[in-house]
Amino acid sequence: MSSSKALSSPPPHGSDIHATWTFLEQGIDQIMNRLEDGLTYKRYMEIYTVIYNYCTTKTTNDGMSASIQTRGATLGGSDLYSHLMRYFHKHLDVIRKDSEKFMDVSLLEYYTKQWVKFTNASTYVHHLFTYLNRHWVKREIDEGRKTVHDVGTLALVSWKDSLFSHVERNVMTAVLQLIERQRNGESVETGLLRNVVTSFVSLGLDENDSKKTTLEIYRDFFEKPFVSATEVYYKMESEKFLSENSVTEYMKKAEARLAEEESRVQMYLHASTHKPLIQTCETVLVKGHTEIIWEEFQNLLNQDKQEDLFRMFSLLLRIPEGLDPLRARFEAHVRKAGLSAIEKIATDAELDPKVYVDALLEVHKKYNDLVQTAFRGEAGFVASLDKACREFVNRNKICKSSTSKSPEQLARYCDSLLRKSAKNPEESDLEDILNSIMTVFKYVEDKDVFQKFYSKMLAKRLVNGTSASDDAEASMISKLKEACGFEYTSKLQRMFTDMGLSKELNDAFRDKMAQNHDAADNTVDFSILVLGTASWPLQAPSTSFNLPDEVVKTYERFQRFYQDKHSGRKLNWLFQLSKADLKTSYCKSSKTGYSFQVSTYQMGILLQYNSGLVYSLEELQAQTNLNMDILSGALGILVKAKVLLLESGENVGDAGTRYELNTDFKSKKIRVNLNLPLKAEQKVETEETHKTIEEDRKLLMQAAIVRIMKTRKVMKHGALMTEVITQLQTRFKPRVPDIKKCIDVLLEKEYIERVDGQKDTFSYVA
Amino acid sequence: MPVTLTSLDDVKFTVDKDVAERSILIKNMIEDVGESDSPIPLPNVSSAVLKKVIEYCEHHRNDPVQVQDETDDPRKRSNDIEEWDMKFMAVDQEMLFEIILAANYLDIKPLLDVGCKTVANIIKGKTPEEIRKTFNIVNDFTPEEEAQIKKENEWAEDR
Repeated sequence: MSSSKALSSPPPHGSDIHATWTFLEQGIDQIMNRLEDGLTYKRYMEIYTVIYNYCTTKTTNDGMSASIQTRGATLGGSDLYSHLMRYFHKHLDVIRKDSEKFMDVSLLEYYTKQWVKFTNASTYVHHLFTYLNRHWVKREIDEGRKTVHDVGTLALVSWKDSLFSHVERNVMTAVLQLIERQRNGESVETGLLRNVVTSFVSLGLDENDSKKTTLEIYRDFFEKPFVSATEVYYKMESEKFLSENSVTEYMKKAEARLAEEESRVQMYLHASTHKPLIQTCETVLVKGHTEIIWEEFQNLLNQDKQEDLFRMFSLLLRIPEGLDPLRARFEAHVRKAGLSAIEKIATDAELDPKVYVDALLEVHKKYNDLVQTAFRGEAGFVASLDKACREFVNRNKICKSSTSKSPEQLARYCDSLLRKSAKNPEESDLEDILNSIMTVFKYVEDKDVFQKFYSKMLAKRLVNGTSASDDAEASMISKLKEACGFEYTSKLQRMFTDMGLSKELNDAFRDKMAQNHDAADNTVDFSILVLGTASWPLQAPSTSFNLPDEVVKTYERFQRFYQDKHSGRKLNWLFQLSKADLKTSYCKSSKTGYSFQVSTYQMGILLQYNSGLVYSLEELQAQTNLNMDILSGALGILVKAKVLLLESGENVGDAGTRYELNTDFKSKKIRVNLNLPLKAEQKVETEETHKTIEEDRKLLMQAAIVRIMKTRKVMKHGALMTEVITQLQTRFKPRVPDIKKCIDVLLEKEYIERVDGQKDTFSYVA
Repeated sequence: MPVTLTSLDDVKFTVDKDVAERSILIKNMIEDVGESDSPIPLPNVSSAVLKKVIEYCEHHRNDPVQVQDETDDPRKRSNDIEEWDMKFMAVDQEMLFEIILAANYLDIKPLLDVGCKTVANIIKGKTPEEIRKTFNIVNDFTPEEEAQIKKENEWAEDR
């Protein structure tokens, strides 16, 4: 048997504890102190086998019965364990004494070096004592002995008791100094810190279960002093920095410090320290200085400093309620920006809805972009933006008379986009513009006003055939439907349906006429739109009218045709919306003749001139049966265009004036448009629309009250108010006095009644 | 990389490392000390037994490493021995005990379990007297002691 160099005595056999330990101590000493010299397989096996043999030899452990060597598995080992424990303590005592020579970084170097060496060696020892662990230690633990651990744990416990508890204070002082130096910008050996952390974490042993670890030691001896040192350090630093630098500079500093601490955790701390460390930093660096940071917000907004705003947002996001004051200030700022933008264009915007809507959109876009970039689309800021926009969209200089001005302007802008014109945008652009219109629409409170104006203008586009594109119309309606629901757009969609049905109707009528009458008999090229009164915002003509003889036959034929098809339906003829093309054959200047585009009323006037050349105002009035205002309006255009001539010095519409057909009429164009709208008419129309809105609202409120009362039967005044407002707010904001008036109306009509003895309670009358 | 094992009677066996590492003892040692060409002496195992143990380890070289869980129930049942293991364990009593001891020494838990289960199966269904006979045990109880023990264990009797 060849002996390895450290070995002096041969391996003992059996249960003599003295011989066994003497042999083992040499081996363990080599492992603990001179592991770098290496260990042979043979030596390893010898040590293991000696322990195995000792543990498996049936004996009383006092060396007396060493001769009884049956190899059954008994559970001896307590003496071996005590020797090992004493050995560890002795070994660590030496290290502790040695450590007193060191301070600061050199202490850390010594401590971590010894730690690495010790833990490495104790893994060996733990493995060599596997047999002791598997049997004697296991049995002791199973029987509830808390003071016995497996050998690896024993090594750690010994380190904790014999070394750690004595040097921990000095080690931590050194650790905190080192970290402070690192924070001051020095580069330090972070490996030392990492090893200290590892050792503190490893020492967290669960007394009740050696397989588990706790973080108690690390938390109490490392994390707590570390975190409070951090707090002190940053409190000093942040106060000093702020007294010497601007807030924006400070925010950069704080951001950098927070990032630095995050990476410190990654570099050498235990992951569980992340939360307490970062929270402490957030408290000291951000929460401790919120007031001064908040104060800076307005400046940054005024100067549109997006980067700094984002930095401020991210810092304040870290602390609870940090952003609340900013949201309020942001809202006020956006509202002010919106109001002043409208103030600037107030004079133009009354004329051009595009300028108005663009101004609204510009403010919205600017701050929406800011919310998305600097505030990362955070919900609270989105809400502030929405609130501010709702304010300045509905209550600004343009709307000072009434909130319904915004929806009216918006609807007009839609009309200008959707109506055929030289300025119609490209299809792709149009879609974008419509989307941005919807952005404003979202903020409009009086959505019913928008609906009113929109449907009026849509009706006009459809009746006059001036809609630029069916696709664009459909797209806009589907957007409205998406925003407000099916009911909001049902009438608008119905209008398109009527247009389609009218086309079929015209074809059917034309076929029928071609069947029943000669071509010579169908002299009038006739087409008609039949539109449901319920869906179309159209009014009956304000004047009587004698249809000229030339078209009466066609009129009657269609009337009959339609009644055959739909008996019981009543046709109202809206001549004020109708138009005609007249071909001239009297003009000397043109052989082919001109084609006049005229209103039906103008047609009524001009066709009179088939039988005479001059008529007085009174004669024309008697023949057409038009009221005087309409008649003189129509005549005015004809005179201005020189189709009819008036004696010089006379005014159109004066009693006794005479109108002569101008047979010398000249025009560069063959088609002459005489069907021009009257300025006065437009204004009246707008006012009327607003008036009908008020009427409609009353009905809507009454309907809502009845609907609510029908389901609730009995209700308090206040609750009813709230319910009505909630039900209607998607359309408009009902005013409380208006609701009261509606309640009075319903009381009078006996839809509801007051409950006896209770002044403010109503009940539904079935 | 092959590993050389040396038995008590100085016979050398060369086996693959993963076969040798079925023994937790050898596995830990190679991990601690590092790989080396020198043979690994096993002073407690004879060549006859080591040959059997290696045979077992060769057969089970690809078994998943057993998780140490003491409350693992199926392991405590003696009737779930694999067919190969059953045949492997069909040896004389002397060898059976030697294998169990070697498994204990080398820290090969599955082999130790199979060995113990095999012994349990031998005991199963036998009277105390038959057991004594099988294992060559001298009865050192007094008749009073024996009666007492019998009474205490009455609940376990197969009826």
